[in-house]
Amino acid sequence: MIATNSLDRLFQIMADPYRRSFVERLCQGPASVKELAGPANVQLPAVLKHLKILEEGGIVVSEKVGRIRTYRMRPNAFVSLSDWIDVRQHEMNVAFDRLAALMAEVPEEKDH
Amino acid sequence: MGVLVDHRSFVIKRELPGSPAHAFRFWSDHQLKRRWNACHPDWRVVEDRFDFSVDGQETMIWNMPDGTRQAMLSHFLEIHTRQRVVYAYTMRTDDVPISSSLVTVEFEGIGEKTTMTFTEQAVFGSVADGDIRERGTAVGFTRLQEAMAELWKEPRQTMTAFGQG
Repeated sequence: MIATNSLDRLFQIMADPYRRSFVERLCQGPASVKELAGPANVQLPAVLKHLKILEEGGIVVSEKVGRIRTYRMRPNAFVSLSDWIDVRQHEMNVAFDRLAALMAEVPEEKDH
Repeated sequence: MGVLVDHRSFVIKRELPGSPAHAFRFWSDHQLKRRWNACHPDWRVVEDRFDFSVDGQETMIWNMPDGTRQAMLSHFLEIHTRQRVVYAYTMRTDDVPISSSLVTVEFEGIGEKTTMTFTEQAVFGSVADGDIRERGTAVGFTRLQEAMAELWKEPRQTMTAFGQG
C-alpha cells in the first residue's frame, strides 16, 4: 500500500490550484518567493504556507541566499514516483514473457 | 515516500508452463537464467558471475553503446528449492546508485502449471544528472496531470492499477 499512500499525498498536495501554479512556474526554472507571489494574487503568508506544503511533500526545495529564498523543483519529484517503477515493471514483464516461452520450449527434467 | 528517496513496491503474478521444479531451474541455472533475464543485445557484457547459493552473488556489468556502465549486483539471502528465492540487489549507472531492492520470487504448482509471484520492494534514489533531471521533471508533471485527469474520470480502475504494490 506504500504506492497508494504516497500517491494520495501527492494528489492532495497537487489538488490546490495555487500550488499547481507554483509548480508549473518552477518547472520553467527557479524563482524567489516574491516572483512566485507576484502573479498569484494571494497574501504572502498564504504563499509561504503553500510553498511549505510543497517542500514538505518533496516536490520543491528551497535555499536562502542573503535575504532571498529561492525555490526550485526537487530533482525527480515526479519521475521517481511513476516513470522508474513503470520502466522496471515493464522490463520484468517482458523478461517473464521470455521465461514463459523458454519454459514451454525446454523439456522438464525428471526428478531423481 | 522517504525524505530523500522513494520506497516503492510492486507485485507481478504470472502463470508459467511446467512444474515449480521446472520454473526453479530457470532461476537457479546460470545459462538458463541468461536466456530470459537481462536481454540487452546492444550492451556489451563486461562481467557475468552467478553463484546461486545462500550468500552467493550474482554480478552483471555492461557497457552501453554510449559508454555508460551499467551494473547489477545481487546477493542471495534465502533459497528454498522449488518454493522461493529471496535476494537483494542494487543497480548502478556509472557507479551512481539508482535503486536498491529486496525481491521475493515464489513458485506455486497448480496442476501442470506454476504460479510465480514476484514481489519487489525498491528504494529509488535521485539521479545526479542534469539532463535526466530536467526531462524527468517536465515529463513527470505532464504524467501527473494525465494521471489526475484519469483518476477523476475512472477513480476505481486507476487506483487499482496504482495500488498493486
